[in-house]
Amino acid sequence: MTKTDQAPRRALSSTRLGARSAPSARRRLRLPEEAGVLVALIVMIAVIGFAKPRFLNPINLFTVLGNTTFQGMLSLGMVYLLAIREIDLSVGWMFNFSAVVAALLMVAGANPWLAMIAGIAFGALLGLVNGLLSITLRLPSIIVTLGTFSMFEGLSLVSNNGRAINPPDPTTSYFTLISAKIFGVVPVVAIVFVLLTVALHFVLHRTRFGYRVQAVGSNPDAALLAGIPNALVRLQTLVLMGVIAGLSGSMYVGFRGAIDPQEGSDFVLTVIAAVIIGGTPLSGGYGTVFGAMIGMLIIQVIASGIIFFGIDATWSTFVTGAVIIIAVVLDQIVRYHRQRRANAQRFNEN
Amino acid sequence: MQRSVTPLLVSVRGLVKRYGGVTALDGLSLDVAPGVIHAVVGENGAGKSTLMKILAGVVQPDAGQILLEGRNVVMDSPAAARKRGVGIVYQELSLFPQRSVLANLFVNREPLRRGWVSTDAMRDMSRELLDRLGLDVDVAAPVSRLSIGEQQLVELARVLLERPRLLILDEPNSALNKRETERLFAVLRQLRAEGVTMLYVSHRLEEVFAISDRVTVTRNGKDVVTRDRAGLTIPEIIDAMIGAHQEDLFPPPLPARKCDAPEQLRVDGVCGGELDDIRFTARSGEVVGLAGLEGAGVSTLLGILFGTRKAQAGAAIFPDGRGLPRSATEAARRGVCLVPADRRRNGLMLDQTVLFNISQVVVGALKTGSPLFSPKEASARAARQIERLRIKTRSPGSLVNHLSGGNQQKVVIGKWLEIQPRVVLLDDPTRGVDVGAKREIYELIRQMSAEGRIVLFSSTELPELIGLCDRILILYRGRLAGEVAGRSVDNRTLLHLINTGERPTAAGSALQ
Repeated sequence: MTKTDQAPRRALSSTRLGARSAPSARRRLRLPEEAGVLVALIVMIAVIGFAKPRFLNPINLFTVLGNTTFQGMLSLGMVYLLAIREIDLSVGWMFNFSAVVAALLMVAGANPWLAMIAGIAFGALLGLVNGLLSITLRLPSIIVTLGTFSMFEGLSLVSNNGRAINPPDPTTSYFTLISAKIFGVVPVVAIVFVLLTVALHFVLHRTRFGYRVQAVGSNPDAALLAGIPNALVRLQTLVLMGVIAGLSGSMYVGFRGAIDPQEGSDFVLTVIAAVIIGGTPLSGGYGTVFGAMIGMLIIQVIASGIIFFGIDATWSTFVTGAVIIIAVVLDQIVRYHRQRRANAQRFNEN
Repeated sequence: MQRSVTPLLVSVRGLVKRYGGVTALDGLSLDVAPGVIHAVVGENGAGKSTLMKILAGVVQPDAGQILLEGRNVVMDSPAAARKRGVGIVYQELSLFPQRSVLANLFVNREPLRRGWVSTDAMRDMSRELLDRLGLDVDVAAPVSRLSIGEQQLVELARVLLERPRLLILDEPNSALNKRETERLFAVLRQLRAEGVTMLYVSHRLEEVFAISDRVTVTRNGKDVVTRDRAGLTIPEIIDAMIGAHQEDLFPPPLPARKCDAPEQLRVDGVCGGELDDIRFTARSGEVVGLAGLEGAGVSTLLGILFGTRKAQAGAAIFPDGRGLPRSATEAARRGVCLVPADRRRNGLMLDQTVLFNISQVVVGALKTGSPLFSPKEASARAARQIERLRIKTRSPGSLVNHLSGGNQQKVVIGKWLEIQPRVVLLDDPTRGVDVGAKREIYELIRQMSAEGRIVLFSSTELPELIGLCDRILILYRGRLAGEVAGRSVDNRTLLHLINTGERPTAAGSALQ
């Protein structure tokens, strides 16, 4: 009896407060996912720092952040792709190929800044190739990018003759700025990474494009029947991935002063791992940009933490794999309990 | 008479099944004597399919019992039902399209010879049956290469190979042409002669009459009439199917608001899919009903008008003076909206919030306005529609998946109302919706019509069409079989038109 007494009152107050409580409801649903991995990251740093206090040196921590930049930026784009139920396996070679093109332009005498912009544009072009192939041939992007993975690799190796490209004169403003550390501590590339994370988080949640990505990923059929231009949104997302790969590659040239022929070849699995550890589900409809950044940091902390403990670095690969599985299992458990809570609420409502 | 001596094969007592707030079966009972073809007919949502699924062990009843030859049985899985000799041929095909006919016939019980799966054994075991069904196809070819009618026969053969005692046929001929249907009926009669008992579910009453011995009519989850076919007529069945409906379910038409320029949608000779030369005009301020059996072309027509399907010929003029939209995106931008029949699959993003879903069209489809997504504006939109449509939800931040069917449908309608559509296409909007929400949706349709929108309303429930529509267009096998005035038509005429494509002879000339 009390239940029936309460139900209408609750319904009434919730409609009245509905408009205001909406954002808080969404935050209530979504914040924990990022909070979970964030706590995991902090615990990990604390544990390693407790055993090896040298690890907590800010210079070391920021180096870890700096090291994650190039793959980390790729993982931000991958969040969009998983959110729209697509994937791009060619990211590593888009990164490499764009870097090679930018470096070759620098070798040819172009202004490094213009070469960087050209590298980004070239990345966009590669993304456009992926997108157009996928949409016009009606192939899933996983197939298309499996093919372009090797195509970009081949073309890149043809372009650089299989050798590292070293742009001349790494003392110009481009190289010095990109490899600089502010106050001798914070790498510039890390700042770019963080800014890009904030920007892409904003784009995903506060723009029409981001809305469409989530809508299409959530239910492509319903999206189509709501008039959302599915193909266009998928194309845009794949191009965005290319732009990010181009940016990452061009910055890498400025950061290292060279691009090795195999650099980037093994990026894709780490990138996807970071996105998944961060809490983006493979089922689409939702993605967390901050989560991907934190996921990438977790992978990097494991890698450098293992070195601090004097364990053979090759073990870090094994641990990273284990972390992926642990992260997904924990995520499932959290999801299961949330679902049960939601069902219980629903039952009370009815 | 004879039935008193022969024990019943199947006896179902007081079955109850609820899905959420919707009662599919409400104390249904059914007795099937052995060796007869027993037809079950009823309107959509009358509980036929649920009954079949319970007998096949796919769905568990909330109450009631099933007696097989007088003994109480529990069919807790399809396997358990199969073991007890119940075979079912589903309306939708459940074959593996990539695999061969033989592989499909012997799924999960492949015959072995010397420990290996033997196609020869399969051939031997199925040859005679396939001959009898008149299924003359390459049994090694993948099923997807067969026509739909042939696939249906493969499905039937698969079930018959299990030698069921009770064979359930859920609209088995919905995809068959006339010749295939006749062959199917010949096979069914032969099976009956061999002592197989059959439960036959169909919409097509003439066929029910052609094949069945006994008929049960269901309505609202109850069995209302069970009699020998010989003692029944089609009008009697139709009356039993419809029953006495409450008139007050349908709100009276609202006075049309004065609109300066009445708008028109003209469809001129549209062909495509099963459609053949469809032409009609719909004006703003009227509700035009679309009626037809599954596969008669109603969904195709709505798809063409909404731009998700291509017309092969013909044209249309929309209120904005332009032709058929080429995509759903174009349709949405031109103020044409579609509320799809399957809202969970085609209308909603279930894992997203009410707020997110109501923004689908405004944010997702339109290109006017800011490229930013403002949660504040989205909240305002959601609050507006929640209030206007009386959507029952804890907050705009609740997941749509947690809403009841009726409220989910209101979210789908709400997302379209946000763009003030000029043409509203509704594909069976009250399917699986409880009575209260139905009435609200009816009111909404009236309201949209009064606001000068052009409303095309498809439904599988006759009372809805009659109670709500100014005119009803009836499609039969892809052609426009007739047009009747909504309020003056009687159930019988309409049902006759829908089921046969022709007017009943008695009432024929009076209405045209």
